[in-house]
Amino acid sequence: MTFEIEIDGRLRTISVESIGAAGVAGGRFRVSVRAGTADSSPLADPLIIDARPTDLGLSLLFADTGRTLDVSITPQGNGEQFVQMPHVALTAVVEGRRARRRGTGEATGTGEQRILAPMPGRVVRLLVKPGDEVGARQGLVVVEAMKMENELTAARAGRVKEIGVAEGQSVQAGQLLVIVE
Amino acid sequence: MKVLIANRGEIAVRIIRACRELGFGTVAVYSDADRSAPHVRLADEAYHVGASPASESYLRIDKIIDVARRSSASLVHPGYGFLAENEDFAQACADAGLTFVGPSPKAIERMGSKTAARDVAIAAGVPVVPGTKAPFAEDATEAAMLAEAERIGFPLLVKAVAGGGGKGMRAVARAADLQAAIRTARSEAKSAFGDGAVYFERRLIGPRHIEIQLLGDAHGTVVPFVERECSIQRRHQKVVEESPSPVLRPEVRRALAECAARVARDVGYTSAGTIEFLVDEQQNFFFLEMNTRLQVEHPITEVVTGIDLVHWQLRIALGERLTIDPEQALTPRAHAIECRIYAEDPDLGFMPSPGLVRGLGVPGGPGVRHDGGVAEGFEIPTVYDSMLAKLITWGATRHEAIERLTRALSEYRVVGLKTTVPFFQWLVGQPEFAESRFDTTWLDRVLTERRGQSFVVPTPADEQDAAVAAAVAAWLHAHRASAGQPGNGRGAWRSAARMDGLR
Repeated sequence: MTFEIEIDGRLRTISVESIGAAGVAGGRFRVSVRAGTADSSPLADPLIIDARPTDLGLSLLFADTGRTLDVSITPQGNGEQFVQMPHVALTAVVEGRRARRRGTGEATGTGEQRILAPMPGRVVRLLVKPGDEVGARQGLVVVEAMKMENELTAARAGRVKEIGVAEGQSVQAGQLLVIVE
Repeated sequence: MKVLIANRGEIAVRIIRACRELGFGTVAVYSDADRSAPHVRLADEAYHVGASPASESYLRIDKIIDVARRSSASLVHPGYGFLAENEDFAQACADAGLTFVGPSPKAIERMGSKTAARDVAIAAGVPVVPGTKAPFAEDATEAAMLAEAERIGFPLLVKAVAGGGGKGMRAVARAADLQAAIRTARSEAKSAFGDGAVYFERRLIGPRHIEIQLLGDAHGTVVPFVERECSIQRRHQKVVEESPSPVLRPEVRRALAECAARVARDVGYTSAGTIEFLVDEQQNFFFLEMNTRLQVEHPITEVVTGIDLVHWQLRIALGERLTIDPEQALTPRAHAIECRIYAEDPDLGFMPSPGLVRGLGVPGGPGVRHDGGVAEGFEIPTVYDSMLAKLITWGATRHEAIERLTRALSEYRVVGLKTTVPFFQWLVGQPEFAESRFDTTWLDRVLTERRGQSFVVPTPADEQDAAVAAAVAAWLHAHRASAGQPGNGRGAWRSAARMDGLR
């Protein structure tokens, strides 16, 4: 099987084949990695990897070097997988679906910004009103959750188009708070 | 003898462990959200005290006293937070014939009010940071408050009288920002502590936060301990604590300990308490406040002195005399560092990240202590503080403690939610941290300068590893699906691992 995996904007096409009796309980796999799409040439010889499910994720053992890698992989939605390794954790998008970051996006992007409640909580204060011009990283709304007040900011400059909540209102995770255009 | 632990999370677990070591029975209380929490599972008995919001459960004095009565507990340990610094609760325990494991209601009241505590410090001849004498009345005019602010001078801090942990506190650099800061501080303090009273305090330049742990018994003995340095703070919230301070001169350490002991003796303080000081660049020190409870960061003191503070709290509550050698308490035999592990996403401005703990891998081995309050399968509630655990490491030197910390963080794995572990992995690599070049404003300044830049800097090799791992996981996921395994919302490995176990 072949998967397109995107990490930090870089696409890799990775094919995974089982060797022998490898199955859902793990085993040996032949893994080849291409930079970019499937028609580019492989980066190197295929890797032979012994992969086993563990209590926390997967234990990988690279047959050529004997190197081990203990990972946990958690789906985040939007095709994003949160990959935790011993010294570093990062987000991979499987099947090349683009990451859509919550709340604050790329400062250089364009289009409408929809500021959503990242968790259940209560709207403590609205810092802007419809029609206000806002700058990048300017606070828009303060939501209290887990005993802390959290200020949600605009990713980039724009104008407040719509406010979907009132002060004092309880909100659910993912509920629309503010639209900045 | 039974002890009721009027708390939840890691501190309830910590106290249950101490009780068990001393042979006491343990009674837990829990809210709706905490039925399967580790503190409930670990205690001998557990009683429901109400709905998830703390105001309907962990803050309900009547319900907790009722549980003590029903379970025939004779002691009540409040932990930290919730009712720990509530003199009404300490009094209600006494009225119900229960022994409160903490100071007297009078001492809590006196030292709990930051302005009254300042007066005690002044009377004891301990320097204080310049500030307002008394809290402002609810109806104080903007003009009156502004005049007081001008007298103290900017920059200043607006602080809630009942505050703690950075809640209800705001820094103000200029007069124009004063009113907004008062409003936020009041609303935050009102919702967190039920008391919106605030006062002002001068903000020192380049201050370090250094505090003295102490124990007092009912017979007039007060023992101060070697200091803890808690200067690494984010928005006035401690993030990393260590003991001893990497910078304090020996004569300043002695002077701090003497001042702290004097304040505690003057109020007839019993049980564990902590006196916080700000120390400037010349190592002049100023009394900040007293916490009349066990602190979050108490384990580092236990590690460097070999003295169990919770054991002593219980023994003191039962009338025992403090028999600790004062020199042992003041002499660190190791260097210890604590990291507070929060369910927060450091790459999203430390946004809380509640959710289900799908897996938990806790570091171990030499020089590592993990005080945790969560377990695999536990859903982190959104209604409480987001601290999951404290990771403490120690070594013969600070350098060794940092090496252990780096190693322990690499073993730490919380699956299912974002935690501050990646932030600490970044922090331990900062030269300012390694060389102890920081004050209480350092971390906030660095975070502002970083402008939300990720704490994780993966190498191309890391990306390659992650991509390969994600592809293998996707292969397993796809084959599990085609093998007719029902999707249950968990990762591929969960079902696969379960199947593996069934073979």
